[in-house]
Amino acid sequence: MSALGVASAGRPRGGLLGVEMRLSFLARLALAGTRTDVLRVLLTGASAALATVALLAAATVLAIAAPPDGAVENAGYTSALLREPGLRPGVAVTLLLMTIPVLALAGQCARIGAPARDRRLAAIRLAGGTPRQAVAVAVAETGGAALLGALAGSAIQLAARELLHRPDADGRLTLPTDVTVPPLGYAIIVLGVPLLAMPAAALLLRRVSVSPLGVRRRVSRPAPGPWPGVLILLGLGGYLALLPAVGRGGATDWVPAVVLGGSLLTTLGVVLGVGWISATTGRLLHRFARRPATLLAARDLMADPWHGSRTLSALLAALVIGAGAQSARAHFIAQDEAYDGANRVYAELTGRSEEFMTFDAAFYIGATDMIGLAILVSLALATGGLLVALLERVFSQRRTHSALLAAGVPRGVLAGAVAWRVLAPALPAIALALSAGTVLGRGFFGTEVSSGRTWVELCDGPAAACADPEGAAEPPRLTSEELPEVVRAIDVPFVELGLLGAGAAALVVGTVVVATLCLRRGATPTELRSA
Amino acid sequence: MTLLQARAVVKSYGPTPALRGIDLDLEEGRILAVTGPSGCGKSTLLHCLAGILPPDSGEVRYRGRRLDEASEAERSRLRRGEFGVLFQFGMLVPELTAAENVALPLLLAGGGRRESRATALDWLGRLGVEELADTLPGEMSGGQQQRCAAARALVTEPSVLFADEPTGALDTLVGERLLGLVVGLARERGMSVVLVTHSATVAAYADAELVLRDGAVDPSGLGMSTGAVR
Repeated sequence: MSALGVASAGRPRGGLLGVEMRLSFLARLALAGTRTDVLRVLLTGASAALATVALLAAATVLAIAAPPDGAVENAGYTSALLREPGLRPGVAVTLLLMTIPVLALAGQCARIGAPARDRRLAAIRLAGGTPRQAVAVAVAETGGAALLGALAGSAIQLAARELLHRPDADGRLTLPTDVTVPPLGYAIIVLGVPLLAMPAAALLLRRVSVSPLGVRRRVSRPAPGPWPGVLILLGLGGYLALLPAVGRGGATDWVPAVVLGGSLLTTLGVVLGVGWISATTGRLLHRFARRPATLLAARDLMADPWHGSRTLSALLAALVIGAGAQSARAHFIAQDEAYDGANRVYAELTGRSEEFMTFDAAFYIGATDMIGLAILVSLALATGGLLVALLERVFSQRRTHSALLAAGVPRGVLAGAVAWRVLAPALPAIALALSAGTVLGRGFFGTEVSSGRTWVELCDGPAAACADPEGAAEPPRLTSEELPEVVRAIDVPFVELGLLGAGAAALVVGTVVVATLCLRRGATPTELRSA
Repeated sequence: MTLLQARAVVKSYGPTPALRGIDLDLEEGRILAVTGPSGCGKSTLLHCLAGILPPDSGEVRYRGRRLDEASEAERSRLRRGEFGVLFQFGMLVPELTAAENVALPLLLAGGGRRESRATALDWLGRLGVEELADTLPGEMSGGQQQRCAAARALVTEPSVLFADEPTGALDTLVGERLLGLVVGLARERGMSVVLVTHSATVAAYADAELVLRDGAVDPSGLGMSTGAVR
């Protein structure tokens, strides 16, 4: 008997992890659902598959063996990013960073059909299900989908390894398809993805109390204030103040910590700042706008200002990193120009044609272009998450929209409201993210680059004597002279930043177009009959 | 013997008071109708008595033990075994068949699928809807859904059945048939029933009536002015 004297039918009988019911019934409840639930499970699985592929790719890069004795690099790969051992951790970190938009996509997918699922959980609670049992049903669904996704992801990775194993004429590979991830690493990744997804699902439900009378939020969210601006100022201010102290350009071990800390704080400020931007935009629209679409959007923005933060977070994080990468690219271009200038001065002074200062600009610019490619993939994934979130919102509000339609509100007004609600906070947020990323990049690389102070040896005498001063009958006069320092300003890459911003804005506009098309299908007065 | 007891139960929703100090005693095997106008706190009282909502202050005791101090999990187990709950809209799990819905409390308690289904079929039969065992709630009429919900509320043979406007969404004839069936089964098994309704016809099925007004017992109401049902 429990403290309340519960009789036999209600007495707990143990069960898996204390959830009392049998595993088969837990699976039945987890799999019960409509087409929307199936879509949520499929997208959760797809997100897990993408994350698994990214993690296995990172593990593969890290598993490349050290260069053979006497060699400084693995000659078997076409890309220097894979050949040089010192660059491989960076490639692995970039691949790991790509899991962030994947996880954001998974988070958005978890919200699909959530109201219907929560109603189901509430009905289970009404029939005597404990809170733990309700959470177990949601966790079992996520865990099962993530496990299937992880298995699919590992199958994709194995298949890609076979299909892409195409050595060139010199026997070199484009990708490390000759490397196998150790079995332990494989197991950790394939099992780790669902094992991490399950507590994440439980954590998402932590803020939501599944009660027999329906789902209600336990914690009310405060109205957003301008405090994310403080995070941005702290992040950028601390970063810019500390960088000279720890040594700009990687002089000490503290540089990565300062760069990472400053970037994280700034990105967090940008993402959370969307809440304040939304609320402020909503207030301004409400005060000054007179058109129905803007008034509807204003109320919506004020009612849930954090929606933009949730849905745009991955996109904005990618833009901050992307803008930083473009600043790095501008730095490498400027450095190449400075060295070219120094070589021209050298040639004028000495009359020699060989390169005095060498800089492998193509390699570094190629590396930033690789990061740019990763940013594009991240933006595509982030847009997928945004689209999922937007569609979920459109479908969850279809009865409200249907009621407005029935009351005579034109569809164009509803579509306009959706567009205003998304674009009004997104456009300033995109500009903020690009600005923050540019400041981070220029803070690290500075605003100008120089060829440095260098001394060259000048030879005053016949060319033959200068070519072999020691063997000359009459030794030439050798003098040292300082090569004038060539300084180049690092341009703000306005064109690239503009393209990045315009591309991101176009992606957001694209999601709005798809959402309004779905609004046209989903919101009809007949929807009101299915109460 | 007093089965369910409430003392000075107070419940508010934000600044709006719903219950203002309700006292109530319910004896075993008795049927109590809780009546009153809309918004008087009838459903909130039922939710507090059934352990669905904790009161803000006051005591709710079941067989002498404090229900208001029990954990959410303990109250859930109580609803699964000792209490049966029946709402106006069946609140069946739409993705489960009628038999699975009725067997739900047994399965949640760790019962085997086969024996739980057999028990569920038995109760569906008593409520006259055995042929709907493998039908989804969305394919049933409102009356059929409500019969399935009643079977689910009774499947564990609870000591107390809480019914909140159980016939409110049904037409008069279907509602009366359902109520007659449920009350008959409850009396047959010596169950106590707390029946929330605004219908005098439905309240007539009860042994006593508790009238609420503005969250308090209305002393001018008919039946049990103190709320005691003996």
